[in-house]
Amino acid sequence: MDDKNIVGMAKDKEYARWAYAETRPEDAVKKPEALAHTVVIDASYGSFAGLFASSILAEIGAEVIRAEPPGGDLARKMSPYGMMIKDSGLAYINEGRNKFHITLDLTKTEGRKLFSKLADKADVLIETFKPGYLDSLGIGYRQLSKKHPGLIFCAIHSYGQHGEDAEKHANQPGYDIVDQARGVIMSITGEPDLDPELPGEYKRPLKHGSWMGWYVGGAWAAFGILLALFDRTRTGKGQLIDCSPPEGLLAISNYVMQYFHMSGQEMPRAGNYDYAVFPYTYVACKDGYTFISGFTDPNWTALCEIMNRPDLRAQFPTIKERLNPQNQPTIQHEIEKFTTQYTSDELLEMVQEYGKKPDKKGTVVTGRLENPREILGREHWQERKTFVRCNDPYYGELLVPNSTFKGMSRTPGRMKWACRRIGADNEFIYQNYLGIGGRRLRQLKKAGVI
Amino acid sequence: MPKGKPYRDLMRKLFDAGQIFEKREALQGIRVLEVCYVVLGPAACDYLAEFGAEVIKFEGQRGDQMRFVTPYAYFWKNMSPGLEIENHNKYWVGMHLGNPRAKELFLDLVKKSDVVVDNLTPGRMAQWGLSYKELSQINPRIIQLHVSGYGSWGPWTGRTSYDAVAQSMGGLSSITGFEERGPIKSGVWIADWVTGLMCAVSIVAALNHRAKTGEGQFIDYMQVENVIRFLDWTWLYSFKTGENRKRSGNRDLAICPSDLFQCSDGWVALAAFGEPEFKGLCTAMRQPELYRKYPNPTQRLKDENARKILDRITQWTRNKRVREVEALGSKHGFAASRVLSAKDAYHSRHLRERSTIQEYDDPLYGSMAQQCYPPRLSETPGRLKWSCRPLGFDNGYVFTKILGLPPDEVKKLEEEKVIFRWNPQIPSHCPPPEWDGVSGVKLP
Repeated sequence: MDDKNIVGMAKDKEYARWAYAETRPEDAVKKPEALAHTVVIDASYGSFAGLFASSILAEIGAEVIRAEPPGGDLARKMSPYGMMIKDSGLAYINEGRNKFHITLDLTKTEGRKLFSKLADKADVLIETFKPGYLDSLGIGYRQLSKKHPGLIFCAIHSYGQHGEDAEKHANQPGYDIVDQARGVIMSITGEPDLDPELPGEYKRPLKHGSWMGWYVGGAWAAFGILLALFDRTRTGKGQLIDCSPPEGLLAISNYVMQYFHMSGQEMPRAGNYDYAVFPYTYVACKDGYTFISGFTDPNWTALCEIMNRPDLRAQFPTIKERLNPQNQPTIQHEIEKFTTQYTSDELLEMVQEYGKKPDKKGTVVTGRLENPREILGREHWQERKTFVRCNDPYYGELLVPNSTFKGMSRTPGRMKWACRRIGADNEFIYQNYLGIGGRRLRQLKKAGVI
Repeated sequence: MPKGKPYRDLMRKLFDAGQIFEKREALQGIRVLEVCYVVLGPAACDYLAEFGAEVIKFEGQRGDQMRFVTPYAYFWKNMSPGLEIENHNKYWVGMHLGNPRAKELFLDLVKKSDVVVDNLTPGRMAQWGLSYKELSQINPRIIQLHVSGYGSWGPWTGRTSYDAVAQSMGGLSSITGFEERGPIKSGVWIADWVTGLMCAVSIVAALNHRAKTGEGQFIDYMQVENVIRFLDWTWLYSFKTGENRKRSGNRDLAICPSDLFQCSDGWVALAAFGEPEFKGLCTAMRQPELYRKYPNPTQRLKDENARKILDRITQWTRNKRVREVEALGSKHGFAASRVLSAKDAYHSRHLRERSTIQEYDDPLYGSMAQQCYPPRLSETPGRLKWSCRPLGFDNGYVFTKILGLPPDEVKKLEEEKVIFRWNPQIPSHCPPPEWDGVSGVKLP
């Protein structure tokens, strides 16, 4: 690689070169994997929390066996506008990575037997059914851990496996929208409550555009599984993990819980404002949107000088005024009167020019809001192999994000394959783990078990 | 009801909130040195600390910026709530690693530690002689993680990243917001929190590898790339269609129905994608013909169909109460829930029973009730022990207990300003005004 693309804007070029040598993407396949020889069964259904959890484990080397019902996981159908590539939607193909795909009908006695035998050979089991469902079939944690005390059993569901609401709503399936709604963050995300110019119909809670409930839930599940695996290296014991994705969001809801405890007050939706740092916001400009910040007194002065608005500085002189939620809509609209006259590049240039002035009062930061297509074209992501483009033997030309653990110098995360069709690995997995092949496998297939 | 009493009883027993401190900690005996500030790095270490790691946090003389970033510039007993949220169970040292004598002390600690984490400008640790090259020479088992917006190498290495910039550079803000309006930032510093989480994941993965092989390693983690990774089908969609993913408010473009609806007394989030779920919803709505028309989930996702279906549900919930729709969801097997606010969560019996919200009595700040990081682990549950601390509060503990320096030597280091404590002129560095001078001190 070109040295200039390695050192980029590094303050310490030698360090950048050293870090590159340690984490070169091309070397990843030659290195060991953190979870080599760890067997994970992902029996999740209709849940990208389960799928993302097992993707994380698969990226760092676990052998993940995806167990789907014979017709395929409902999650395969979750795709924008119903777009399908053969048997799968776009979202599923993105999280099928490095996993073996088998089918198994848990409603049949024979299917449950196979499941139980596979679980005996696994280190980790992930499931996302309604709380108590697997237990009622005789293949829940209660039954499996008796035979296999080392098993790490991770159950993911919106309401969790226990507690008042879990008992009340155990018949509800888990979904991202409910995870987001119960995760508190949604109540404070969205257009600003206190902006008098905003039409009332937009004053409502807003979810993150992506499946933030599911992905955050899945990341916590993977964290819990890795903690349990580490504990098991020292004690030999498995355990039950109860992962409720909304709690994953609640846990990272900034200070709203603390603030309520301390003051008895809730916080209104702030829109693009922030009640702890402002201006630190997205503003409209001539060709889209851009981020702009000027929070501390010197930085705010700098921003007002760039906008040539000494009156604004005088009107909101300290952070007390700027953090007052009643003032923030006014400040936002005044900044936008300025920014909408320029493109994001012109604004960046003005900010950079100001930064060179010997009598500058502070630092302003600005940067265009990127859309997906722009991001896909950026050289930095190309050099860092952030995306993997592949020609899948079944699904054809694909592009998916790479493992974000590829910067682990000794055990880098990696992509081996994107996805597999429904039941693609039945033959290999059943033969390898249970010695079932040929005629017996055909019988099971005929009986609708696999 | 979860099916079956034996299951329910087992769950209650396994997750009994009163038993947490009777159980093991997954990361007991793992020592983490935190050279981090603001939210991302400290959060990564906090996740480890609540599962038992001993996290020693180093702060420069001005203190972590979060001592000054707090809602409405509100402080509580001199404490900044902005600092509290990503700093639990930690040991607090005032020491700047750029000082050559401080560096020697730090290296002595590295010999006795397992993990070093920094979220400084890439290369800053190397400038101080504290890169993995040096650390692994004195402790080959050490795991060192560096996290920054764009990582330690590449065309954009060295570019500054804030949470809001990471949300926009990673594409999250461009897909969040209402269809006919502009992009909206998350209500929280989501790009910091979730990147911190994935950093913690990679650290525990590295600990697992080390348990098997004895090998440490260096980890370079990128915040903006992490945001990219969390955006599900966004990238494959752009690749296949050449289009940008559109903002769609609360409507899920890949699941139908899945949206937020208005009831007579508030909002309800509702989803019913599987055939039996959608059938259950249509039964609850007393509109069986809607199910007969759109039984197939994929067919429901066509834009035109989706809009019609969502419109029907909008008309239906309008005259219902949130509680009614939730109960119908539980009866008929579709997902329906109110939107919880901080107050709802704070008072939720469900979350208290689950130890999701834990109470503890902090020797400095008194009674606290707040969220403890998930997930709930039956044998090694996470726990809250104490809150954030004044600057340099645990100098004595760290240097005397771990490095064996006699108390007068620690005092001398303080006099020579190699290590330091809170500045009495800066309230948010300091203990609460009514502090008695001894409460909470582990070793003087």
